[in-house]
Amino acid sequence: MESGNLKRPALGLRAKLVLVALLLLVMPWAGYSYIKATEQLLREQQERQLTGAARAIAAALHDRPRLATLREDSPDGEAARAEVRSLITGIARTGLRIWIIDNRLRLIAVAGDISGGGPPASGETTFGIVERGVRAALRPLLARWLDAPTLPAEEFIPDDVVFGGPEVERALDGATGLKRRPGPGGSAPIVSVTYPVWIGETIAAVTIVEESTAAAVSFRHRAIERLIAVTLIAFTVAALVLLVFASRISTRLRRLRDEAEQAIDSRGHVRALVTAEHAGDEIGDLSRSFSLALARIADYNAYLEGLARRLAHELRTPIAVVRSSLDNLRLKTLPEDAAVYLERAEGGLQRLDSALTRMAEASRLEQAVRGTERERFDAAAVVAGCVAGYATAYPKSLFATQLPPRAVMISGAPDLYAQMLDKLAANAVDFAEAGSVIEIGLKLQNTSAVLTVTNRGPRLPEQLRLFESMQSVRAAPAQDIHLGLGLYIVRLIAEFHHGRAGAENLTDGSGVRFSVVIPTLIVD
Amino acid sequence: MLQRIAIIEDDPAIGANYADALTAHGYAVQLYPDRAKAMAGLEAQLPDLVLLDIGLGGDPDAGFALCRDLRGRSATLPIIFLTARDSEFDMVSGLRLGADDYVTKSVSLPHLLARIAALFRRAGVGSTAETGEDTLNRGALTIDLKRFTVRWNGRGVDLTLTEFWLVHALARHPGHVKNREQLMAEAHIVVDDSTITSHIKRMRRKFIAVDAAFDRIDTVYGMGYRWKAET
Repeated sequence: MESGNLKRPALGLRAKLVLVALLLLVMPWAGYSYIKATEQLLREQQERQLTGAARAIAAALHDRPRLATLREDSPDGEAARAEVRSLITGIARTGLRIWIIDNRLRLIAVAGDISGGGPPASGETTFGIVERGVRAALRPLLARWLDAPTLPAEEFIPDDVVFGGPEVERALDGATGLKRRPGPGGSAPIVSVTYPVWIGETIAAVTIVEESTAAAVSFRHRAIERLIAVTLIAFTVAALVLLVFASRISTRLRRLRDEAEQAIDSRGHVRALVTAEHAGDEIGDLSRSFSLALARIADYNAYLEGLARRLAHELRTPIAVVRSSLDNLRLKTLPEDAAVYLERAEGGLQRLDSALTRMAEASRLEQAVRGTERERFDAAAVVAGCVAGYATAYPKSLFATQLPPRAVMISGAPDLYAQMLDKLAANAVDFAEAGSVIEIGLKLQNTSAVLTVTNRGPRLPEQLRLFESMQSVRAAPAQDIHLGLGLYIVRLIAEFHHGRAGAENLTDGSGVRFSVVIPTLIVD
Repeated sequence: MLQRIAIIEDDPAIGANYADALTAHGYAVQLYPDRAKAMAGLEAQLPDLVLLDIGLGGDPDAGFALCRDLRGRSATLPIIFLTARDSEFDMVSGLRLGADDYVTKSVSLPHLLARIAALFRRAGVGSTAETGEDTLNRGALTIDLKRFTVRWNGRGVDLTLTEFWLVHALARHPGHVKNREQLMAEAHIVVDDSTITSHIKRMRRKFIAVDAAFDRIDTVYGMGYRWKAET
């Protein structure tokens, strides 16, 4: 059976389900937006905190009018400066640096250290050890994409911070200034907030509060890392589960398809039923209904096949009644002219009887072939013997033979093999053009004995079902009751020998070649 | 004394027709429609020959059972199965049960009469020891055309009537190939080719049972069969 002409689905069920699993990739996108929002929130919070700190410092300085006299040439200057320094040192902490500059942009005091105070390591995981492993594996890859924040390790004071810059100008104008600048060495940006210190009606100094955004950046990076790890794990798990599920479904469907395909052969015979599944789902349901449908077809086929036999049997009794009545009638003295009608009745009866015999012949042959004993025989010898006989059986036809030089051993029945060749030869003779040569060949092909019978003559029609009983497709000379059993017998016998029979038009369209391929015995 | 034939046939028309024909040919005929009536009727005395249908009334295998019973009562009673069934399986079953012949209902009355006559001759002459003149000798093979018996190397081969005629047809002209149609015509049977093949096989087996080295019935592939001439 060839199933190659059935188109394979372009996209299997499995591939489709895995594609569906790709929907899970929405997860990291949603996660990423969430992370962005959180990061923004963190940032704003940081800015608010810094602004608050700057305002607090400015307010504290505002309460100290001595600062108004803060001059470098003033004798109190040093004391005031020390006071400011002690004030801001109290507020500054690791990671937070505070500058105080006067309105002429001179540094009054600085405290705190922007380095250090790294983000606390997060041990939180969703999938425990697995996730940790995945994240460890991912880190080097992600590091390339998200340059990991390193805190500014060394003190780095850009001039524009101390000596101007828009945010300091803004502070000197009495507003709050905000600036982000890149961290040293491409590390996390540093955010700085400037706030004016009012002494009386004038702005005496500017508070600059700086903090690295390393915490936020690091938070983002860790969150992304975690997001990717979680997504990856979830996706893998989901895809695997779907794959297993889809494999199961697709295996069941494929088995069902194969069974359904195999169930009915090209001749419409039900070979085997689909094994009904017990599963309660739709596929199980489908297989059960397939099984049921096939069983019905098989029943019906059996009924049809038996019908011919039963019909023949049923009709035989009335025929016997008619025949014996006619025979008895013959014994009586009849008028002269009655004999003609008696003969006609006899002739009709004869035809009816032989038609009946042939009707039941197919099933009888099947029984007979099945019950035949097997033996080893040389197919070449049988073919040679048959062909020698054809010269006398068909004196008007020409035969050409091609036989292999050595014996072709087959397990089967030589009688049947000869009968098969008889049918093929008779068929070839029926359809051969007058004067053309019928070629009969036997050759060894690998482990098969290929018997071919070729005749010149009418081509076979397309879509042929030649090897069935009651099929006679070519325009046959109608001299005999021709129910097309011959090629059916060929098929039966070929199948008995575990082989198959086929027919094809010659490539040049001049005739037809029948072939029977039968496996040979391994000759040791 | 008239020879008595029992016909066991459930179809009244066929039964009556056969009964008429056989009566007309000088036989005494008893007709039984089913197994029970036949058993009752044949209880007292066995007929000289029995024509037996396989399916009787509702019982599809009544004929087989009846054949077994009758054969149990007499080993020599000639029994012919006359039936609408023509499957090889039924034929083999019938012959195994000890029937002397098996003919389908498509057989014509003259053929049936010929078979009956042949069986009577075989049964009648079989008791007398003397061999008639009507014999055919082919080396180790002796065919007695009067008794319808076949001997191989002097030992009897137990053939049915059909097989007897097949052997006769083959051995009449040793070396000549007979095709299946010719064999069927000579054995007065209408069967398909594969049935002839199985008849031939059974005949070979019967000869081989008598002589393990028997190889005279030769298959000529593509043509038919022949009786191998003496070498």
